[in-house]
Amino acid sequence: MTVIRRVLALTSGRIAVAVLAVIALLAALGPLLAPQNPLATSVRTLADPSAAHWLGTDYLGRDTFSRLLDGSRVSVLGSLEVALTALVVGAVPGILSVHLGRAFEWVTLRLTDTLVALPFLLFAVAVIALLGNGITQAMLVTGVLVSPLFYRVARAATLAVARSPYVEAAIVSGASLGWIVRRHLWAKVLPPLAVALAQTIGTGFVIVSSLTFLGIGVQPPEPTWGGLLASDLGYLAHQPWAPAAPALLIMVTVWACNLLADAVRDVSGEAGRALVDRRRARVHRTDQAVTTPAGGAR
Amino acid sequence: MSSNTPSDKPSSALEISDLDVHYGPRRRRRQALRGVSLTVAPGETVGLIGETGSGKSTLARTVLGLVPATAGSIVVGGEDVTTYGRRRWRALRRRGVVQYVFQDPLRSLDPDLTVEESLSEPLLVRGVPRAEAAGRIRAHLDRVRLTEELLGRLPGALSGGQRQRVAVARALVTEPRVLILDEPVSALDSANRVQILEILKNLRADGVALVLISHDLGSVAGVADRIAVLYRGELVETGTAHDIVTNPQHPYTRLLLGSAPTLHGAPADRAERQALRALLHA
Repeated sequence: MTVIRRVLALTSGRIAVAVLAVIALLAALGPLLAPQNPLATSVRTLADPSAAHWLGTDYLGRDTFSRLLDGSRVSVLGSLEVALTALVVGAVPGILSVHLGRAFEWVTLRLTDTLVALPFLLFAVAVIALLGNGITQAMLVTGVLVSPLFYRVARAATLAVARSPYVEAAIVSGASLGWIVRRHLWAKVLPPLAVALAQTIGTGFVIVSSLTFLGIGVQPPEPTWGGLLASDLGYLAHQPWAPAAPALLIMVTVWACNLLADAVRDVSGEAGRALVDRRRARVHRTDQAVTTPAGGAR
Repeated sequence: MSSNTPSDKPSSALEISDLDVHYGPRRRRRQALRGVSLTVAPGETVGLIGETGSGKSTLARTVLGLVPATAGSIVVGGEDVTTYGRRRWRALRRRGVVQYVFQDPLRSLDPDLTVEESLSEPLLVRGVPRAEAAGRIRAHLDRVRLTEELLGRLPGALSGGQRQRVAVARALVTEPRVLILDEPVSALDSANRVQILEILKNLRADGVALVLISHDLGSVAGVADRIAVLYRGELVETGTAHDIVTNPQHPYTRLLLGSAPTLHGAPADRAERQALRALLHA
């Protein structure tokens, strides 16, 4: 909770949270807000923007704006699912690998090596063939395949502090593993994990669309941001501006995620606390200068 | 001789018998401690002296359960802890019977936690309510000569002496019966050194058994009742501080005493030190 309060004390943190809140709203309400049926085709193919079609129509005459809104939920949830699966499957064993003995460490390290060595698409196709095709299965598989990044990041950050005297001091005080993780490790592991999470959310959009292209996960004609971008790119000669809208949405979301990750990194740790204190002090001084009459400012 | 349940009045706060400790995997096993026996009575101060790598910190870490013993026994506050598993160790630690002040106070305090958060940790871990912990911390501040205004600071914003006193205060909040301090004054200036030694004297008067680990005989001789000299993992000499300083028996102890840096070392002293070194390496 402290981290959230500190992030919100930074301007960049507030901007990131505001943008991501808008994206979340879009994901929640997008399909309801779509003015037209996103799957309905018409003879007005590749039409320019107009009052009826704000962003024009695609090569099958479907309303692009409606497809963009309708596709927001599956795109955002899909990439979130990838990132959160990777976080849970990767970071938790990564932190525990330092604490739960050599056998656990060895097994998790070898599993991670195996996952890195697996060819991504082949593995995804094989698992989908076993579990059945669906967006949830596809995203879970992708999350597992991305998890080595989180395993490595979490393990490296944990290793750096696990043998430090202050963690040993906590052990000597009788602290449990849960306490040590919550009290000492979390603040050190969170910043690099936040950066990895932001990066993975960005990659998630691309992965959702790549899998859609192969017929895995989201099935055509259901729209996704990545899918729209891919199909618009095929008609660049007719509508050179068309990829701008889905590209802008993906870009803004990834940018906001990165901004948030940077803010989390900036406010974490000793330096972060000092940074937030300095900002608060500056704001406090400005407030005082505003409320104090000009003659009594000194 | 020893039991697993705490007796009402243990005659010794800490009793180490024939302790062996090994490091490393089986093929490259290295012996860190060999047949170490040491007893510390309540209210007694024992100085553990030895050069770097002699096994001083390993001995302390074994007493705290951070390093497993290969052979021998350790009895802390009347409890034989030698065969304790992780769970029983945690239960013992939460009672705060034995506490440790780490060598480097800056690194032994979490840089992200305020002084108050660090001091309250041993109490919160035991399930003491936050408000009660805050009160108990404040009661201990006076004991280590710290003021309440420091509670909100981070370790990085404290002086070396203040950090060391915070580290001592953290060890004291659980009212330990045995307190092990690793090089408590070696990194401090003389004013802070005196302050820490004064605090330790008061603790001794309160009946706390103190083990002062140091590589410098001079910094411990003035406060310790007894001194144990550790050399290459073995206790080579144990005696009262007075006896060790005035009548050292082992060549290594004599070498330690003769190694105090001086600008006017006579050739005869140098020759004696060389002879002692030759004797040790023989």
